[in-house]
Amino acid sequence: MNYDDETLMAYADGELDDALRAEIAAAIARDPALGRRVDAHRALRAEVAGAFAPVLQQPLPDRLVDAARGSATAARTRGNVVNFPARTMRAPSPPWRAREWLAMAASLVLGVLASWKFLAPGSDGLVAVRDGSMVARGALARALDQQLASEQAGSEPILIGLTFATPEGHYCRSFSARKVGTSGLACHGSGEWVIPIIDAAPPGDIRTASAPSPTVMQAIEARIQGEAVDAAGERAARDAGWDAARP
Amino acid sequence: MTAAPEEIGEGIVALLPRLRRFARSLSRNQHDADDLTQVVVERALRNQAQFHAGANLAAWMFGIMKNVWIDNRRAHGRRGEVPLPEDTGEHPAISPVDTQATLWSVSEAMSKLPEEQRLAVALVLVEGLSYKEAAEVLEVPIGTVTSRLARGRAALAAALSGEQKGGLA
Repeated sequence: MNYDDETLMAYADGELDDALRAEIAAAIARDPALGRRVDAHRALRAEVAGAFAPVLQQPLPDRLVDAARGSATAARTRGNVVNFPARTMRAPSPPWRAREWLAMAASLVLGVLASWKFLAPGSDGLVAVRDGSMVARGALARALDQQLASEQAGSEPILIGLTFATPEGHYCRSFSARKVGTSGLACHGSGEWVIPIIDAAPPGDIRTASAPSPTVMQAIEARIQGEAVDAAGERAARDAGWDAARP
Repeated sequence: MTAAPEEIGEGIVALLPRLRRFARSLSRNQHDADDLTQVVVERALRNQAQFHAGANLAAWMFGIMKNVWIDNRRAHGRRGEVPLPEDTGEHPAISPVDTQATLWSVSEAMSKLPEEQRLAVALVLVEGLSYKEAAEVLEVPIGTVTSRLARGRAALAAALSGEQKGGLA
C-alpha cells in the first residue's frame, strides 16, 4: 500500500485519526522506506523549529514591551493584582515602581529559562526544548501527570495550581516550582506537557504557594474554557490520562 | 465581554517572544521582524474591543500578524522577495542571532517560498500550531493548510539539502 506525501506528513505531525494512524504504523513496520519518508518529515520539522527557537530566548526590545503596555502605566498597576481581589491595595503605588517590577520580572523569565536549560540539560531536567516548544520533563512531568492540587501537602517541590480545559479540548495545568522561583502553564497534547509560558514566581507575599504569577494568569485567561475543574474533575482527568477533555 | 486593557497588554507582553519568533520566520532579519511585531502589537491594542476574553490571544495576534505581513508585502510590491544588497556580506540590520548558520539558511530557504506556503510552514513548524489552529488563523480550510504545508516542506527540503551538498562540495 502506498501513501501520498500529505498523508505521511500528517502522520509525522500527529494529525491523523486513530484508525489511519494505526494503519500507517503497521505499514511502516512492513516497509522501512515508508518509515524513512516519515523520518524525513520529522527531521525537517525539527530543523525548521530548531532554527527559530533561539529567538524565544533573546532579550525583548524595550520598544516592543512599551508598545504592548501602551502609554498608561498607573492603570496597569492594578493588572498585577486584578486576579487576587482579596488583596485590595487601595493606596496607588508610583507608576515607576510597577514598571521597574515588570521589567525585572521580564528579565527574570529569561534568567529562569537560561538557568533551567543550563542547569538541567540532560534527561533529569525539568524542561526540554523540542520542535521549538518547551516540554515538561522529569519531576515536573511527573507532577503534572500525577499530582492533584486537592491533595497537596504544600511541601512538594512542584505545586499544581489550576487545572482547566481549553476550547480545543486539551487540559492545561498551572504549576510553580518554588525552589527555582518559577511558575508556568503546561498543556497536555500528544502525550506530553507542552509549556506555552513560564514566568518568575510572584515575589514576596504570594497568597498561596501555588498561585500563578499575573503573567501566567493572563495566559490562563487567554485559554480557559468555562471554569477550572474541581477536585473530582481533576482526579477524573488524571485517571483518564489527561486525554481529550470534551467540554 | 471584552478584555480589560491592562489584561490584554500584559497578555501581549507574555506573547512577545512567540510573536517575535513568528515574525522572524516571515522576515529576512530580526530588525524587520521587530518592526512587524511592533505594528502588530499597536494594531492589536487599537482593535482590542474585537478580542473576546476566553478566546485564544495567541491565535488572534497571529491572525493580525498574517494580515499586516500580507498587506505590507502587497503595499511594497513584494520588495521582500528581492534579496537585500549584500555587498560586503554584513548588513547593519542583522542581529547576532542571525549569524547562527541554521537560522540563516532556513530563513533564506523560507524567504523563497510563496507567501501562503511560508505562512503555513511558520504557523505549524515554527509555532507548533495544529493544522486546525493554523487553518483558523489563515481563514482557510484544513485541507488547504495541509497542501500548502506539504508543498512548502518539499521546497524547503530541496533547498536545504541542495545547500548542504553545495557546502560540502
